[in-house]
Amino acid sequence: MIEFKDATVTAPDSGVSILEPTTMTLSEQRISIIGANGSGKSTLARLINGLVLPVSGTVTVDGIDTAKDGAKVRRKVGYLFTDPTAQLIMPTAVEDVTLSLRRIISDKSERTEAALTALEEIGLGGKADVSVNALSGGQRQLLALAGILAVTPEVIVADEPTTLLDLRWRAHVGALLRTLPLQVIEVTHDLDAASRAERTIVIDSGGVAFDGEPAEAVKFYRDLMFRRPTRTADS
Amino acid sequence: MVVADPVTSIGIMCASLLLLLSTEPPAKPTLRAMSMIMIVAVLTVTFQLWRGDIARAIDVAADLTSIAALALAVSCSTPMESMLDLVSRMVRPFGRILPPETIGLMFALTLRAIPEAARIFIEARTAARARGLERDPRAVLIPGATRTVGFALQLGQALHARGIAEEAKPERKKRTRKTRKARKSKSDTTPHAEAQERISTDSGITTSSD
Repeated sequence: MIEFKDATVTAPDSGVSILEPTTMTLSEQRISIIGANGSGKSTLARLINGLVLPVSGTVTVDGIDTAKDGAKVRRKVGYLFTDPTAQLIMPTAVEDVTLSLRRIISDKSERTEAALTALEEIGLGGKADVSVNALSGGQRQLLALAGILAVTPEVIVADEPTTLLDLRWRAHVGALLRTLPLQVIEVTHDLDAASRAERTIVIDSGGVAFDGEPAEAVKFYRDLMFRRPTRTADS
Repeated sequence: MVVADPVTSIGIMCASLLLLLSTEPPAKPTLRAMSMIMIVAVLTVTFQLWRGDIARAIDVAADLTSIAALALAVSCSTPMESMLDLVSRMVRPFGRILPPETIGLMFALTLRAIPEAARIFIEARTAARARGLERDPRAVLIPGATRTVGFALQLGQALHARGIAEEAKPERKKRTRKTRKARKSKSDTTPHAEAQERISTDSGITTSSD
């Protein structure tokens, strides 16, 4: 269970509020977070696995404070970024997954076997020895996901995981995230994907503007966006 | 200089090239990498010939080619994980000052970052050309440098999120002993399921959806 208690984030130099004091509990299996660009969605998501720490208040995962034991939190919470390229470190698919497994499996052959299994389970079994540069965008995102799933987290936070993908890969990765047997919190601009969650949170200007049923949340978000004028250099 | 003798240098160069060929490297990337070294070698040889020292010119060219061929032979034949293990083992005696796993990871990241930085600068140059700014170095250097730093920050965040090189060593040693015991009692468990069970046991919480 993920709990926010008055968690606040401000910009370190200017003190400008990025996320207003936020209190909520995230217990549903499928939660989507939507909002405009720069609204604070990614900041909220990064608070969950301790990539960003609150300047005040607390964020806990199963009672573990992200500020006090971030490493332990990150063993429970996997994070999938928008761009898979920056997440992939090793030259081949199997080597990248084994890198994640180094901290939990010390035997090299066991590690390789576990990595191959993880790749097989995600549908990249035939790409184990392929260079990551030769993989398509969708395959790289799957590989990034394989590296996360290999260490069996309890929660996955996916930050716009399909934004850079084409329609086919967007559907494939989206479907895969929906079928995972663990809690998935997805930040997304895809309102169809958001509406398939159990709960949807709308973030606006650093605060929670709506929190509840996905259909209502999406409607609220649409109204919010189309009511707001688009700023230009002349206005 | 590897060896200060042209004949020996040529012999070592031939051996290095044969070693490289024995690893069956991919043709195009290897030729591209060797051609870059050749350019440097030609410039160096030209300078030495201008000085009138033919022996030194041959020596330098052969040494540069040998070093490049050996480096390519290692990178073509050695999986990155093995290189990571080797570097970590080499710095283990200095473990009190520098964490071995972190140093090994730094080595892997350097190899990862170099082609990515090159790709970023190529894209910046293409973008500059599209804007008609190909003669302005700022149009390449500024976006190239900014994006490279951005990539480094993203990579750092991804490492942080994956928990890589994060106080891993003491935990791994404990788990090794457990693994041996667990292996004796559970011969049917797969490594992946075993890893799952390891995490479940240590965290005290099941990994089921409930």
